[in-house]
Formats: sequence, structure tokens, C-alpha cells
Amino acid sequence: MLSSLSNIRIAGLALSTGSVTRDFIADGLALGLERAQLERISQTVGLKERKVTAPGITALDLCEDAARRLLDEMGIDASAIDAVIFVTQTPDHSQPNNSSLLHGRLGLCKSTAAFDLAMGCSGWVYGLHQAALLCAHGGAARVLLCAGDTLSRLTNPLDRATDPLFGDAGSAALIEKTGHAPAMHFNLEADGSGAKSICVPAGGARLPATPLTKQEIKDAEGNIHHAENLQMNGSDVFNFTLREVPGSVASVLKMAGWTPMQADALILHQANRFMVSTIGKKCGFAPEKTPMDSVEKFGNQSSASIPCTLIHALGAPLQEKTLKVVACGYGVGLSWGSVALELGPIVVAPLQSFPKL
Amino acid sequence: MSKSETELWAALQADVDGLNGPGITQKTRLETLPQWDSLAILLVITHFEQAHGIVLSGNQIRACKTGRELLQLIPR
Repeated sequence: MLSSLSNIRIAGLALSTGSVTRDFIADGLALGLERAQLERISQTVGLKERKVTAPGITALDLCEDAARRLLDEMGIDASAIDAVIFVTQTPDHSQPNNSSLLHGRLGLCKSTAAFDLAMGCSGWVYGLHQAALLCAHGGAARVLLCAGDTLSRLTNPLDRATDPLFGDAGSAALIEKTGHAPAMHFNLEADGSGAKSICVPAGGARLPATPLTKQEIKDAEGNIHHAENLQMNGSDVFNFTLREVPGSVASVLKMAGWTPMQADALILHQANRFMVSTIGKKCGFAPEKTPMDSVEKFGNQSSASIPCTLIHALGAPLQEKTLKVVACGYGVGLSWGSVALELGPIVVAPLQSFPKL
Repeated sequence: MSKSETELWAALQADVDGLNGPGITQKTRLETLPQWDSLAILLVITHFEQAHGIVLSGNQIRACKTGRELLQLIPR
């Protein structure tokens, strides 16, 4: 679905990470894996460190911290928020939704709308589109978009196809209606026929959690997981991104009337360094315009990876000037979404862990 | 001029470390290679996309028993 929305801007960004640092090589050695093999994967794929949450901390806590810091940095009172959108696949509960819990924690007004989007790695772009729609056509002046996940809680430590990949983070972005901003151009797409490629089979209504769903099995590659764990077919997901992302990015570039040379940055969902590098090249962007360092420091943060990369790679220039940015998220669903927008100057709260170390 | 099988194999070996080592030929059974793993499959997908413009699925690659069978996936 193509969509262009005018006179809306992102006014500020913040992100809080988990507070526990995990090291790919050290974790692998602790499981008895060979150092040479671990170093081969680390160098090729770009797995180094990731930040995960301490016990008891959830995506809601991370997003609340990011939201409070952002509103504080911007000097905006919570009563000025017209809607809050929470993008997550790791909510505190199946009911109530995280946006309602955050609404209560922040003391938002009864007139403030609150709803969740159950989306993963593409979710920040989908959420930004929803926020922009509310500002463009829904009567909202300011929308708080929170996106975060704690996928490290869903992986099995003995599943080397998933566990080393994920970091935990929660982001907050303030989207405002304004009288004079250039259009944001979106392309949102999905392919439900690939839904099983990234899946947590049990724990929902279709297959409720029972002792049986906790029984571990070993797959063909020797990875161990059970039905309540996040399971991913890495080659299918890589195949899908190579097939779909370049066209999606090209479509929003065309809507904006830009070439890759004219855009300042391509911010891809940070699945891993290898994927970002390969896809960035296929999209026609120079490596220096395709930031890919954040995944080696924080891990794959699901819906929070795009705001994290915006802050980590472009935080300083975005506080000073306007950049032509293309962002694309892709993953569970399967779903993917791209946006081309002129971003900045904006308020950027510093990246920090929660609890703060 | 199209590339020979030897050139195509050399290019694949250069991009996929799991296929590159002493004594590894197009006839070597892939399952016997210690580094024929999920990472090698990602590297094969990337090589085929960049060198030949086709996006293979993981299942297409896993179905190949030898390097020669991988080369047969190249469109002629």
C-alpha cells in the first residue's frame, strides 16, 4: 500500500536498551562451541555484543523510560499527547494492552487514544504511518509512538540460529502535526504465506502453553528449542528480504523524487551486519550511507532497531539539520515497510540503558 | 562469452568459505564439509544473487548433494 502524508514531522526520538551486555564469543565458548567457528560467524555475520534486559524488566518498562526521557528533554507535558501507539510482540499481558498500561503510567488524559500494533521488525514504519495518519486525518496534534521488544526472553539459549541475534530495547518518538513539512512517503506490504518463517508456535489461543509445549527438541542443524520459543528459518527470511526490500525502498525513493545519491541515509532494520550490508548494496546505497554498526553493539532490537540506528548513527546531525532519510523495516509476518522522509532538526535524547548503569 | 564450470566453481568457492579448503571439489559431498552450515547457505544465496541475479531458497540449496549440483542451479 502506497501512502503519502503531508505536514507531519518527527519532533523527537529516544531509546532505552537492556542493561546486561552479552558477548557472542564468550557465550558460545560457555556452551562448549569452538572458538574458530565462533570467530568465523562473528566476522562474517557481524555478531559481537548485544544488550538484553535484566530479569523482571519488560518492553513496557523500556518504552516508559524512553518516553519519560523524551518528554522531559522536549519539555512537553503528558497532557499534550493526543494518542499513544505501542508497537510490540512482547507485551506484558495478552490483556490489557501495553498502550493502556503506558497510558496509565504516564498519567495521560482520558481524551488520549491508546492502542497497540502487534508487529515486529517492520513495526516502527507501520507505527509511524499510523501516527502520521492520526495527525493528518485523525484530529491529533501530537502522537507518542513507542516501539520495543524483549525477544531475548523468547529464544532458547541452545538455539544458535536465534539466541545470539537479539537485543532488547524500547523506543519513543513524538510525531507532530505542523503546517509546513514535506510529505512522508510510505510503502507498507505483507506476505502472509511466509508467516511460519518467523514464529512462536505456542502460548497463544491456537496452541496454549502446557507442559508439552515446553518439551525441547533438536532440529536438523542441532539447535534446541521448544514450542514456546521464537523459531526462525534464517535462509527463508534472508531470501525474502533480498526479494522484497530493494523494490520497497525503490518505490519510496521514486515517490519522494530522490535517487540513492540524493538521499542522505538508508536506515535498514538491523537484523545483522551481513544482511544490512548485502541489502544496502542491492538498494544502490553506498556503504557509508547505510549505517550498520548498531547491530554489533546492541543486537537485533526488532521494532526498536530503526530508531536506535537513527539515534546511534545520525543523532548528532539530526539535532542540527534536515536529512533526507529512507528507512525500511522487514521481518515477522512476513511484513515490510519503507518510508522516505525529511528528518530534522529534532530533539534526540541520549541512548542509555534501563536501569541506568 | 560464458564462464566455464571451473570458473563458476572458483567464483562460488571464493564467496563461500565453507566450500573452500584442501581437497574440496565439485564432486565432494556437501554434508561431509564441516562448514556446510546455515551460514554457508546464506553465503550461497548472496553469491547467486550478486553473481547470477537469482534469489535461491534455502530448500533449493539444501537439496543439492554436491558443488556440481549447486552449479546446475545457475540459469544457462
